[in-house]
Amino acid sequence: MTFDFVEPIVFAMLSVGVIAAGAAVVLINRITAAALLMAFTFLCMAGMFVLLGAETIAAFQVLIYVGAITVLILYGVMFTKSGDRPYALFFQHQTPIAAIFVAAIAIPVLLLAFSFNAPAPPPRGGDLPGLATSVFTDFAFPFEIASVLLLAAMVGAIVLTKRDEAEGADTRRRERR
Amino acid sequence: MIPLGAYIFVSAVLFFIGCAGVLVRRNAVVILMCVELMLNAANLAFVAFSRRYGAIDERGSVFVVFVFVIAAAEVAVGLGIVLSAYRNRPVVDVDEIHAMKG
Amino acid sequence: MPIGPFGLDPVIWAPLRLVIAVGLALFLILNGALLQIYLERKIQAIIQDRLGPYHVGPFGLLQTFADALKLIAKEDVRPSATDAWFFVAAPALVFCPMLASWLVLPFAYDITGADLNIGLLYLTTLGSMTVLGIVIAGWASNNKYALVGGLRSAGQLISYEIPQILALVTVALVVGSLSMRTITASQPGPLVNVLVLPFSFLVYFIAALAETNRTPFDLPEAESELVAGWLTEYSGMRWGTMLALSEYGNVTVVCSIIVTLWFGGWQGPGVDALPLLGVVWFTLKVYAFILAFMWIRATLPRLRIDQLMSFCWKGLIPVSLLNILVVATLALAFPSSRVPIAIANWLLVVAFVAGIPFVQRRRLAALRARARATAQPVRAAS
Repeated sequence: MTFDFVEPIVFAMLSVGVIAAGAAVVLINRITAAALLMAFTFLCMAGMFVLLGAETIAAFQVLIYVGAITVLILYGVMFTKSGDRPYALFFQHQTPIAAIFVAAIAIPVLLLAFSFNAPAPPPRGGDLPGLATSVFTDFAFPFEIASVLLLAAMVGAIVLTKRDEAEGADTRRRERR
Repeated sequence: MIPLGAYIFVSAVLFFIGCAGVLVRRNAVVILMCVELMLNAANLAFVAFSRRYGAIDERGSVFVVFVFVIAAAEVAVGLGIVLSAYRNRPVVDVDEIHAMKG
Repeated sequence: MPIGPFGLDPVIWAPLRLVIAVGLALFLILNGALLQIYLERKIQAIIQDRLGPYHVGPFGLLQTFADALKLIAKEDVRPSATDAWFFVAAPALVFCPMLASWLVLPFAYDITGADLNIGLLYLTTLGSMTVLGIVIAGWASNNKYALVGGLRSAGQLISYEIPQILALVTVALVVGSLSMRTITASQPGPLVNVLVLPFSFLVYFIAALAETNRTPFDLPEAESELVAGWLTEYSGMRWGTMLALSEYGNVTVVCSIIVTLWFGGWQGPGVDALPLLGVVWFTLKVYAFILAFMWIRATLPRLRIDQLMSFCWKGLIPVSLLNILVVATLALAFPSSRVPIAIANWLLVVAFVAGIPFVQRRRLAALRARARATAQPVRAAS
């Protein structure tokens, strides 16, 4: 008895999850629900990485996307609370043009997608040693640059969201009174 | 064994969903989410090619690590911009934030 | 045909082993929560010179069973202004990652759900998923105390994840593996990792207290300011799942990580002759740390939110980065010996412990000076 039939079933479930949740993010009206569905998309995507045998990438995916980015976006949603709007105000004016534009590119690409085929890969273990070797040898310099980029982004985000000193002092004075 | 084409197809579908979302939605936070979806779709293609073509030392997956870095930086700065715009005037719709328009 | 354990086909054994692991984990979580609540009450009672529970059963042993039955029998209340889907989903989002992290805990030689080669990364990943459930719980409750509690908790968990991961990195550097089994095997006999990396252990222990919302870092549930934090609107078994099961389960997971990484895991006298003895040693070590957590809870007062954040960002993260720098440099310079790393790490511990009073005195002096400068003149009461 073999368990070969499991992999296609899991793949089908994961791809339905990815595509349905992704479409719902675009179409759903409630932003908090959209953020949670986005997290669900990311989780299904992590499952796909595991199916491909890239378990380290899957762990990073969950750690960064679900643990950090979704929480950040939820923070953003909570701080910019705008009530649910009517569906008419939901899309922008250029929706028809945008839809045609996207469809024009998407349909040929999607038709082409199935033509990719790879020879059966050599059986390998996990991707941890290979990934670590690459990151710390050939890609060490880009890796350092990426850390500088992160630092710059952190400083930028703090500067952008920091209240002005004068404004803060003003509110404090008002509170005291 | 799942064919490589199936992974690329899912990746392409998710990418175009995200693309449509960026072009169509008004809410700035939702647009950020759609950009994340597009980045993630690209990740899937990277990992699928890297694993299936047997790249030495997971060359493709390394780029996914960089995409993670870019995604985190982009969300942090993007939300910072949205929040500071919201503080000036409480709107999050991208077609109403036009203070820099001449 | 290859034969696995108990004469079973390995193809059948692999899923069966997973089922057994999940069943065992659920059993241990449920019983562990009951036992730990009892211990928590009794130990706090002893430290505070009280009796603690003593009515139900001998020494009050059945008190927590009675409480659990009460929770299960309670009416399932959902306040009408809450967000139906999210309110119900939040306890599951908190509970599931905790349950999943029991998969890689090595209870004894070969008694583990799955020996992933990214075990440590897997555990940190699941730890970070808890935040999502807490934020959702705070948001769905539609209550300002719950919302503030949830946001505080998210900030705290995200901040303290960083020193936690940085402390794990040093262990991975020295051992050269992320697999829990390899890490355990790298500490033969009495040569446990805590002798080599005491400073990483110290940082991880402090961060773990914050990660599991234990005093002195239980800000999210600071009852004097926030009612009960993000748990305010929850009652019955939903509250039981979130608080009792998830919190105590998380404490157990964190203590298991500490024991596996720094205290030799299941190893102990007599394990070679009788492998199942490893379970006993592992449990004993884990409960020793759980008791230490409870001791700290009964002893220390709670921090303020700004003190909590500044301690993490200005204290723990810089010193753990320094720790990584030192350990990595020494591991590169002396690849065959762990003695230099151990010496440097013990020096760091001494510097950290000696530095705290110094920094604290300077901080207090600055605060006092500022208070004096901005103080209002005292007027005589008329």
